[in-house]
Amino acid sequence: MTDTTQQQVFDIIAKQAKIDVTTIKPESTLKDLGIASLEAIELIFDIEEHFDITFPDQQGANFDTDTTQSLVDAVQKALDEKAAAGEGSK
Amino acid sequence: MPTVPQMRRVVITGMGAISPLGVGAEALWQGLREGRSAIGPLQHPDADRLRVKIAAQVPASFDPTANIDERTLIMLDRTSEFALHAAREAIAQSGLDFSQNGLGVRTAVVVGTGVGGETTQDEQSKRLYAENSQRAHPLTIVRVMTNASASQISIAYGLRGPTFAVCSACASANHAIIQAAQMIRYGMADVAITGATEACLTYGALRSWEAMRVLADDTCRPFSANRRGLVLGEGAAIFVLELLEHAQARGATILAEVAGFGMTADATDIVMPSAEGSSAAMSQAMADAGLAPQDVDYINAHGTGTQANDVTESRAIRMAFGAHADRLAVSSTKSMHGHALGASGALELVAVVGAMRDSVVPPTANLDKVDPACDLDYVPNVARPMPVRAALSNSFAFGGLNAVLAIKHAP
Repeated sequence: MTDTTQQQVFDIIAKQAKIDVTTIKPESTLKDLGIASLEAIELIFDIEEHFDITFPDQQGANFDTDTTQSLVDAVQKALDEKAAAGEGSK
Repeated sequence: MPTVPQMRRVVITGMGAISPLGVGAEALWQGLREGRSAIGPLQHPDADRLRVKIAAQVPASFDPTANIDERTLIMLDRTSEFALHAAREAIAQSGLDFSQNGLGVRTAVVVGTGVGGETTQDEQSKRLYAENSQRAHPLTIVRVMTNASASQISIAYGLRGPTFAVCSACASANHAIIQAAQMIRYGMADVAITGATEACLTYGALRSWEAMRVLADDTCRPFSANRRGLVLGEGAAIFVLELLEHAQARGATILAEVAGFGMTADATDIVMPSAEGSSAAMSQAMADAGLAPQDVDYINAHGTGTQANDVTESRAIRMAFGAHADRLAVSSTKSMHGHALGASGALELVAVVGAMRDSVVPPTANLDKVDPACDLDYVPNVARPMPVRAALSNSFAFGGLNAVLAIKHAP
């Protein structure tokens, strides 16, 4: 499912940055893709809304220096935690 | 710099505050000089579902109903309650009687606020959208409007000069104080009631701040390498500004002089600060006050505790002060009273006036480990006894707005 998650995240990034999705590489930082400060926060919001997840607060770090792969990993982690929490409550 | 004839000097003859450190300007100042932080667990009906867990809130010991008649009280949002109580303290300290000699007509009121009646707005929105009520409270508009605080002060004291609100996010207080001081300089008023107020710790506002991801989860640590963001606060501080000759003629106690000011806009990014813009505002304020960098002993920094502000502000201070930057005491009292947004600059002016009066610079609390990228003397954790001849008070706002006050010791 990791590829699917990656594809979905990349699609959201492409839409936000108004770029072709094929130009996004796992090692690209948001800054490389022209997504800075407030746009990065907006992108995080779009991703949270899309997957219905909440990223933990990440004070002290800059989203715009994160790679797209680290974002995908963070989404996958949040999805896994959500799934585990869902099973736990059954 | 525009050349402005400075025959009319402006002094402070009264101040009042409602802050997380308690009721009254003295409670605020004593807390700051003791290095006491008022940041604590967020008290809010929806605290359980919020991610933000800490804030600097006005304590429950503040009684908004004290000595305010019921007909006035029902008109007031929490924002105006703070402002009216702080104004009352300031005016009492000044000893002015506005009913005498037509003084009310020669008195202006300029009160800053970032968002105005947020508590009322939030309550009424909940009523309409969540509870499907068909009716909003009939006093919603008069409570919410951003000029409510200025108008309530005007009405309470019969002040008939220029009266309005100034709204520029986190620079609202300094912009308001500058407008008030300018009116006295230009002869439009002899007295001005000014400062700022904010009370916006509502569910909606807290959620909006969470989404920006700039809030600390531990405490506010300005200039510290382990800082994790800002901590929201609330409160008001109101001042009586007065023409120097007017104050001297009646033998008033002068607390300090509002000697100059600088205002610039970065014109770059809506949230990321620029050192060029804030540095220019500091230089303007010094030039306007007739101060050279070496005349300034203390800067009350904007010092929010965010990654972006603290490094940029430190660089801006160095740009404006050159070699003297190494001899300045710089502190952020937001480490103790939190970030009261539009009211911050007003709470911080209480700190500057207190520092001058008592010859003690308030510390930057929670400064564990100075960030190597912040290379000034931030007066860590403990107040420092030292004379303060002149000081700057910095306020920088989202939107790239910079407003700096230059304050001198009472003449």
